[in-house]
Amino acid sequence: MRFPSRLLGANIWFASFTWLAYLVLITLITVGIAIWGNLDESVWEKAVQLTRWYALFAGVALVNEFLPLYIAHGQSRRQFGFQAAVTIALFAPFLAALLVISFLLESLLYGVTGWTWALGQAHLFTAPTQVPLIFLEYTVMFLAWLVTGAFCAAAFYRWQGGGLLAVPVGILMVLVAQSAIGDRMPLPFITDRLGFDLPQSVPLALAAGLGTFAVGLGLSWLIIRDVPLRNQR
Amino acid sequence: MRIDIDDLRVSYGDVHAVEGLSLTLEPGKIYGLLGRNGAGKTSLLSVLAGFRKPSGGGVLADGRPIFENTAITRDISLIRDAGETIDLGTVEDALYFAEHLRPRWDAAYAKELIDLFELDPKKNVKTMSKGQRSAVGVVVGLASRAPLTMFDESYLGMDAPSRQAFYDALLADFMAHPRTLILSTHLIEEVSALFEEVVIIDKGRLVVHSPADDLLSMGTSVTGPTAQVEEFTKELTVLGVKRLGPTSSAMVYGRLDHAEARRAGLETGPIAMQELFIHLTGGPAS
Amino acid sequence: MFDDRSPIYRQIADRIKAEVMSGALKGDEQVMSTNQYAAFYRINPATAQKAFQQLVDEGVLYKKRGIGMFVSPAARDTLRAERREGFFTEVVDPMVAEAKAIGIPLDDVIDRIRNSR
Repeated sequence: MRFPSRLLGANIWFASFTWLAYLVLITLITVGIAIWGNLDESVWEKAVQLTRWYALFAGVALVNEFLPLYIAHGQSRRQFGFQAAVTIALFAPFLAALLVISFLLESLLYGVTGWTWALGQAHLFTAPTQVPLIFLEYTVMFLAWLVTGAFCAAAFYRWQGGGLLAVPVGILMVLVAQSAIGDRMPLPFITDRLGFDLPQSVPLALAAGLGTFAVGLGLSWLIIRDVPLRNQR
Repeated sequence: MRIDIDDLRVSYGDVHAVEGLSLTLEPGKIYGLLGRNGAGKTSLLSVLAGFRKPSGGGVLADGRPIFENTAITRDISLIRDAGETIDLGTVEDALYFAEHLRPRWDAAYAKELIDLFELDPKKNVKTMSKGQRSAVGVVVGLASRAPLTMFDESYLGMDAPSRQAFYDALLADFMAHPRTLILSTHLIEEVSALFEEVVIIDKGRLVVHSPADDLLSMGTSVTGPTAQVEEFTKELTVLGVKRLGPTSSAMVYGRLDHAEARRAGLETGPIAMQELFIHLTGGPAS
Repeated sequence: MFDDRSPIYRQIADRIKAEVMSGALKGDEQVMSTNQYAAFYRINPATAQKAFQQLVDEGVLYKKRGIGMFVSPAARDTLRAERREGFFTEVVDPMVAEAKAIGIPLDDVIDRIRNSR
């Protein structure tokens, strides 16, 4: 089995540029809040929310765009499954590393300006310089969202409307991962939080990450192992 | 690449797109695949490309099964409107992945074709006109140099000069790098001279598989006074009759004695492949 | 380029024969390769090959291994002899039949021929 250099490479390339733009945006917002409002906590902690959706859509794109491309170029579904799995396994830590850098930059900025850095919720980490914990937390998060995106996309690709049945499963996987890392997912307009009450610990987070990865991939494989390519766009 | 199709069935739930089709295609020829809309061409080609599993029966390429068999599928290419190989992003992106995945990819040739079809490599394929999209598909299909290369009407969106450029490029590359080529088309008269053999399918079944010349020689139009035409053709397979006043013109399918027809005071003439196709598939005009 | 009157390979063969007869293609001159012919006329190379093979069988062309197809030096004479054989049955008799059918006296035809000597 080949290493998915171009599949991973294309994702990394696009993510890097998007992140740079996002970094600039968040920095501007941070400075804006500090000048015209009240800055007393981390902005990046909130900014992470959008990055989850990016990962979800990257997972969706893997199935919607890349699966048909690979099959049409004579790769087997098994080969693609393997390459997609490797891509997700390496892309998640890459995205987490980008967040590590983001938090470090934020801590640098706050240090220079004297703003108060604080977290609004429980996380695995408590300070922006705890690189290994931040890295672990967000690797687990990205794994869950990437895999969920791929899984739901596979279900919709194969069964169209029937794919809706996959959504609750996807939500469950994401909730497990989010609960394990502490950052329960706030839904817009709803103040009480969804999620399970799990103790924040490294082993649990690891288990949740690997668990959702394995389960999500396994379920996705069951769907794509003999999926026919759609005849229309 | 040799293709052996045995009692193939392709169904989508209750819809039977292909029913009991058996066919052998010798390697190294250009095949025309003709059929009306919904005849089953797309389903047949998608099974040949490993895009879907047969619902019944089997398909072998060089004696080996196709579905999920990379040793075979990496040498098979199907370009069609669904645009799986090109919709990813820009033209460059499409070529980037084709180069990575196709073992016989010829990047220099791809560049030549991009220039030939006047395509902008940095343009997003989804935003292109239908004709340009088709051209990108053609580039990927030709430059992949797959031993079995199939085009499912994908070039129909191109304008006439671009289509001619495609046929010329196809023919030149076929002669330089022989392979098995299947062209599915509605523009029969435009392409028929390129075919070595013709396959006609209708309602999911095989109607004709024959060398192009033989198929054409099976069709004759017999024209003359109605009574004489009817008398002459009464034992023959008549695909259709046109009448204008006292004269009739019958389309006859099968061997015919031209001299005998002339002796009976009738005129014989050829039938274009497109006409034969219309009549053999019971089209609205027949 | 080619019509549906007869199989394409036969039309190709007839066209080459016409060129040999008119002198456009001379004895021992090389003709286009089948691939060049196919590309030029936009036809399947197998069709061009069939035409060339027929011409080889009829003695109009000969093949030089590794080089190409050439016009037989005797081709022009052979073709003219063939046409001479068929001249009366294929050209004269139909003309006579046509003249009779449209009511032209044969003496007028004969006079015309005499005057064009």
